[in-house]
Amino acid sequence: MTNMIHIDNAAIAFVQQQGGVVTVRLSPKHGCCGGLASVAVAETQAPNNPEAFQRQVYQGITLWVAPELAAQGLRIGVEGWWKLRHLYVDGAALSAG
Amino acid sequence: MPTENNASPTSADMGLFERYLSVWVAIAIVAGIALGQFAPAVPEVLSRFEYAQVSIPIAVLIWAMIFPMMAQIDFSAIAGVRRQPKGLTITTTVNWLIKPFTMFALAWLFFMVIFRPFIPEELASQYLAGAILLGAAPCTAMVFVWSYLTRGDAAYTLVQVALNDLIMLFAFAPLVVFLLGISNIQVPWDTVILSVVLYIVIPLAAGYFTRKTLIAKYGTEWYDNVFMKRVGPITPIGLIVTLVLLFAFQGDVILNNPLHIVLIAIPLIIQTFLIFFIAYGWAKAWRVPHNIAAPGAMIGASNFFELAVAAAIALFGLQSGAALATVVGVLVEVPLMLALVRIANKTRQHFPENA
Repeated sequence: MTNMIHIDNAAIAFVQQQGGVVTVRLSPKHGCCGGLASVAVAETQAPNNPEAFQRQVYQGITLWVAPELAAQGLRIGVEGWWKLRHLYVDGAALSAG
Repeated sequence: MPTENNASPTSADMGLFERYLSVWVAIAIVAGIALGQFAPAVPEVLSRFEYAQVSIPIAVLIWAMIFPMMAQIDFSAIAGVRRQPKGLTITTTVNWLIKPFTMFALAWLFFMVIFRPFIPEELASQYLAGAILLGAAPCTAMVFVWSYLTRGDAAYTLVQVALNDLIMLFAFAPLVVFLLGISNIQVPWDTVILSVVLYIVIPLAAGYFTRKTLIAKYGTEWYDNVFMKRVGPITPIGLIVTLVLLFAFQGDVILNNPLHIVLIAIPLIIQTFLIFFIAYGWAKAWRVPHNIAAPGAMIGASNFFELAVAAAIALFGLQSGAALATVVGVLVEVPLMLALVRIANKTRQHFPENA
């Protein structure tokens, strides 16, 4: 399968250290005056509901991707230090909640 | 990812509540005034529940408004500040070094000079104080919706919100005290500190530890899709209930001076456009991509009303002109921001391609 999400080398190394699994999904954010917009996030854990995700294997890591994000050409990197070190998703616009 | 050919989202993509927020706020004003006039015992009884001059019902409502917003902040996103340095420089400078001072200057010009024949001096000072509180509290959560409507960069929006909230923790109180001081509005430092602790530090700490504890136990997906789904809508409900209560106390002020709402709105509207165009124009001059420029300009144009309302009530009381001024900010928020969304979407082609 063609990988539609690019994961940089540092992020691959980070994911491998964390167990080799990454989930890319939409995280809803609530507005203070109502409203909802969703932000793409990547986390080093398997989804709660794997049937709702597309599974890919990418350079030895298992990638679970929400279908609505699969074809967006996203890029996953890693940033931060020590306990703040985390994955980020670049290239995504916000989505409707 | 949306492409340049895709149509931008419009206000129709917003939910019914937020799209017609001005209508609900207007209804809350009328309901509150009616409550105060026809059932004066209700606000009278509620006003008795005080501890250390803090109204307990109001404090509970304010926490209900602010806690959900704080509980969704991911402070680890601050680690991304290096990715869009131009956008963050513009946003941070405009939000904290320009916006509070332009709001003060505009409010002073209108309330103390231009509208002097229409507003008694004491009330004008109160409106000025309310405007200062609005100017010192940039938007913290609604910017996600404005960013969505302008196809803003999601990762950048997360970072700017986290950074803005962290700065607010330290900058809000000194800015407010300084600007109130030069306006000759005396507010004791301990009262300001108490309101910052009550309405920023406590909700922020509660939100942070709730987020940390629940994510450790149930995971981020559960936190977002179950916990926040239940807790998130409490904010706008808390806002409307607070407004009803506030106007139950404010009834006489409004009934005696109905024109004042329009007068208060004028400098607030000018400030919204001014701050948007300063940040947006600066972003254009620096050739910042549109998906960074738009959310970067939106965050300063919009305000963290819940905090401004809370601080106004804590510092000046429910019946104060300062509290009324902050509410007028809520009243005009959505139509103004939707106008800015339209401007941002129509001027997209003048900016470099998305980052």
